[in-house]
Amino acid sequence: MADGYDVVVIGGGHNGLVAATYLGRAGRRVAVLERRSVLGGPATTEEIRPGFRAPTGAALVGMLRPEVVRDLQLDQHGLQLIPVDPVVTSIGEDGRILRLWNDPAKAAAEIAKFSAKDADAYIKFHDFLVGLAATLDPIMMRTPPNALAMGTGEMLYYLRFALRARRLGKWAIGQALRFPQMALRASLGEWFETELLKATLSVDALLGRWAGPWSPGTSFGVLHRFWPAVHGSAWAIVRGGTGVLTDAIAAAARAAGVTIRTDAAVARITTTDGRATGVQLESGEAIAAQVVASSADAKRTLLGLLAPADLELEVQRRIQHMRMEGAVAKINLALSSLPKLKGDDGVAAPRIRYGPTLEYLERAYDDAKYGKASAHPYFDVTIPSLLDPSLAPSGQHVMSILAQFAPYHLRRGDWKTEKGKFADRVVDRLDELMPGLRTAILAEQVLTPVDIEEKFGLTGGHIYQGEMSLDQQAFLRPVPGWGQYRTPIQNLYLVGSSAHPGGGITGGPGHNAARQILHDWGRAARA
Amino acid sequence: MAATGYDAIVIGGGHNGLVAAAYLGKAGKKVLVLERRRVLGGAAVTEEVYPGFHFTELSYVCSLMRPEIIRELNLPAHGFQVIPQDASFTPLPDGNYLYYRGDAQEAIDAVSRFSRTDAENLSSFSQLMTRMAKFVAPMLMMTPPDLHSLWPSNLMKLRELYKHFKTLDEEEFHTFFQLMTMSSADYLDQWFESEPLKAGMSSSGIIGTLLGPRSPGTAYVLIHHYMGEIDGSYRSWGFVRGGTGALSYSIAHAAESYGVEIRSSTDVRHVLVRNGRAIGVELASGEKIHARTVVSNADPKRTFLKLVERSDLPQDFVTSIENFNVIGSSGKVNLALKELPRFRALPQAGPHLTGVITIGPDLDYIEEAYDDAKYGDFSRRPYIDMCLPTTLDRTMAPAGKHIMSMFVQYAPFNLRKGTWPERREEFGDTVVDTIEEYIPDIRKIILHRQVITPWDIDNEFGLTGGNIFHGELTPDQLFFLRPAPGWAAYRTPIKALYLCGSGAHPGGGIMGAPGANAAREILKDMRLRKV
Repeated sequence: MADGYDVVVIGGGHNGLVAATYLGRAGRRVAVLERRSVLGGPATTEEIRPGFRAPTGAALVGMLRPEVVRDLQLDQHGLQLIPVDPVVTSIGEDGRILRLWNDPAKAAAEIAKFSAKDADAYIKFHDFLVGLAATLDPIMMRTPPNALAMGTGEMLYYLRFALRARRLGKWAIGQALRFPQMALRASLGEWFETELLKATLSVDALLGRWAGPWSPGTSFGVLHRFWPAVHGSAWAIVRGGTGVLTDAIAAAARAAGVTIRTDAAVARITTTDGRATGVQLESGEAIAAQVVASSADAKRTLLGLLAPADLELEVQRRIQHMRMEGAVAKINLALSSLPKLKGDDGVAAPRIRYGPTLEYLERAYDDAKYGKASAHPYFDVTIPSLLDPSLAPSGQHVMSILAQFAPYHLRRGDWKTEKGKFADRVVDRLDELMPGLRTAILAEQVLTPVDIEEKFGLTGGHIYQGEMSLDQQAFLRPVPGWGQYRTPIQNLYLVGSSAHPGGGITGGPGHNAARQILHDWGRAARA
Repeated sequence: MAATGYDAIVIGGGHNGLVAAAYLGKAGKKVLVLERRRVLGGAAVTEEVYPGFHFTELSYVCSLMRPEIIRELNLPAHGFQVIPQDASFTPLPDGNYLYYRGDAQEAIDAVSRFSRTDAENLSSFSQLMTRMAKFVAPMLMMTPPDLHSLWPSNLMKLRELYKHFKTLDEEEFHTFFQLMTMSSADYLDQWFESEPLKAGMSSSGIIGTLLGPRSPGTAYVLIHHYMGEIDGSYRSWGFVRGGTGALSYSIAHAAESYGVEIRSSTDVRHVLVRNGRAIGVELASGEKIHARTVVSNADPKRTFLKLVERSDLPQDFVTSIENFNVIGSSGKVNLALKELPRFRALPQAGPHLTGVITIGPDLDYIEEAYDDAKYGDFSRRPYIDMCLPTTLDRTMAPAGKHIMSMFVQYAPFNLRKGTWPERREEFGDTVVDTIEEYIPDIRKIILHRQVITPWDIDNEFGLTGGNIFHGELTPDQLFFLRPAPGWAAYRTPIKALYLCGSGAHPGGGIMGAPGANAAREILKDMRLRKV
């Protein structure tokens, strides 16, 4: 099929669409192939009951790259963000409420109700992390270096980067070197004394992660909480539902001439002599392309869609060992009314968190370590309809809950039998915090990691396409040796969250991979 | 100034203090070592605890002592002798066991009883780890650079470090980053499947640390296991003839041969500081001794929060030291035995009793032991690293009798219920109950039992928090971050006050490297007349 595409993109998740758009705008003929009948992967909105539109996957957007929004003119394609503020309303063991606002001074005033010392520390903490995130921010949009074979330009960039980082000051540099590697319990313990504050910030770092607050290396995640402030934005929901973001990117893609096909499940990637030549759909249809860009995760792409003979055993082994075990379950509720939070003082709480102490969080993780769903899960609740009433019939609401730990592999039993019990544990607890919640439930959707895998094709049900731990970041993501979006198969690229900068709705992997593909293309053309 | 007293006073006669003193003495400096206890060695100590029974009370094997130090201080001439201890024996609860000796083929055969693929992977794993150990070894003797300073000398150090990294090939480079960031369990999962093997290997990553095998950052210490150099051969552990205390005394004798004065039973109360400069020490007796420099072998917390006035230090530094994590996680139980123990798995006496014996059959076992400690209790079923030094050195106990030395983890310094002095014997009972599952007759052969808790390690041996490494060996406290960012070059904010113990790079274990590195920096400062 000589008249194939320049690029076929496997998967119409947000990163696949972002990559396709950049490639289309560079004049390539691009087709996006999506297995499902809807685009967006986990960035979708689904009607869980007529009139109730819930985010099936991601409820919040905070890390979406401003470059992507600008380049793709997403606001002109209908994207509108509504900041979540207070960004979290957290409930303590004693029922006290800690409310954190985006404005650090306003947050500090709330923290002062618990501890004046912590209130002061919070401002400094906020500034430290925003400063650190701002320093690291440009790295998000670069192809990670192959540290052993850096070109002069690359080397100069990182020397300049180091000099720029120096501006943080001696103290902050020292902290920046140790903070990310530390366990949350240790790092937050240095800053704060209020247990609820420490636990609340910890959940930001732990959601979707296979780790507890005692695990070293978890403090890195706290950065994400403050990252939007680097660009003067905030954690937000998408007006009309997360799916509107997908629609906006898809519109940009189409405007760039990209062909988008849904219900087009790719069965395998075709190769000749170690080069990708296109894909074959489950229907048997073959589509030729010069480049195959996969937004599926690394395991699905390299172990699922390639023939075993295509890859060396050593690479297969590395990919197999990429840690990708889902930790989190999603529960969406349609509610006839929104019961009041106990201790409610009239301030809206669009995002509620329960995970009152570090020990509570750690014990939830302990269960997961031994292959059990948490007996006492912690959870993060978003009520998008509070900010965007169009998502539910008047006076009624949709609620989106991330609950953890729900390990993909259960040592005893399976998710068929455990699913209901786990969801009940979450909803029962929530019902105690918001009396009357259970009776207000009109519909309930529960997605365990097994469901997440089945529905979105995310291996292990891992929402980030692979653990976001330090050993799977930057040039080590997805696996050591393949951190530049390329794969051992020539012309096959990874453009999804399995690649740097990783999971979450960022568009970063799609953006960076597209640039890498175009760069390599240019080089091949010159050669 | 030097005319009025000593060139250097070393606070603490632990092995690192003695190494620093010996190097300074060797360079012709007038040095005085002050040790609070009656015996030298600090945590590397052997004492006759019960008549005829010489216990190596805390540290029990010697694997990391830097060969260049052994050579340069000529320690063998001063009585230092290592008996190779290459057997590794892991009895399992079901009566099975994993046992092999240092010989590679024997290890492969033993492992293949559990998994053929593990046996196949074993040698390439060992080779890779040995390569990593060879890469890390020179860094142990390096003074860490400062990541903020633009001084030419510092930039040179950074360049040296960069060049050192460039010696790595791709596999080694990635392995280095993985080892620094992964948990030992996750890292080992990439290689092996059989539990006894993984558990045994991962245990080296958690020794002395309040972390479990599934905690990120523990993989790094896997390298240490391959760093035991004895006569130049990697990966062999050894027992010091006469116990680790004999090593300390060999260093002391070397130091004395260079003219170093050593006073034991001499408790330093304060470091004397005038105008931001250390000028000597004051003893508990009230005696003041002046010196050109003061070198502290005490841990960073004891040094900066107890021996000097906080007002002599910058606030940021004090905060860093307060935040330096030194919570101890281990204890020791030493037994005097009537006869050799008979393991259910391998009851007869034999070479399996001469090496390291591990109670920690699988990763869950060790992880669960850690879980208990996280919440402030000692492990109900602890991980135990055991050895019988008397199988190698008959001088340690009366004829026919034996010593069982057990390193026990986890024993967190802070208990939620009760205090360590109240619960010491309960802890000892738990340990004996645990080994009774593997040595059914153990209770019948115990003559004496010494239980050392983290509280005792703090109280008696002066290690704050009972941390045997002067502070956790986690990546956030290693290299240029040890003990505090910007203060990893053995110097301190107080001029002429240096740190030479395990609280400085490269950290704990009987290595001698902090002492040797500190001496090198002190001599440099003396040469440049900075002090």
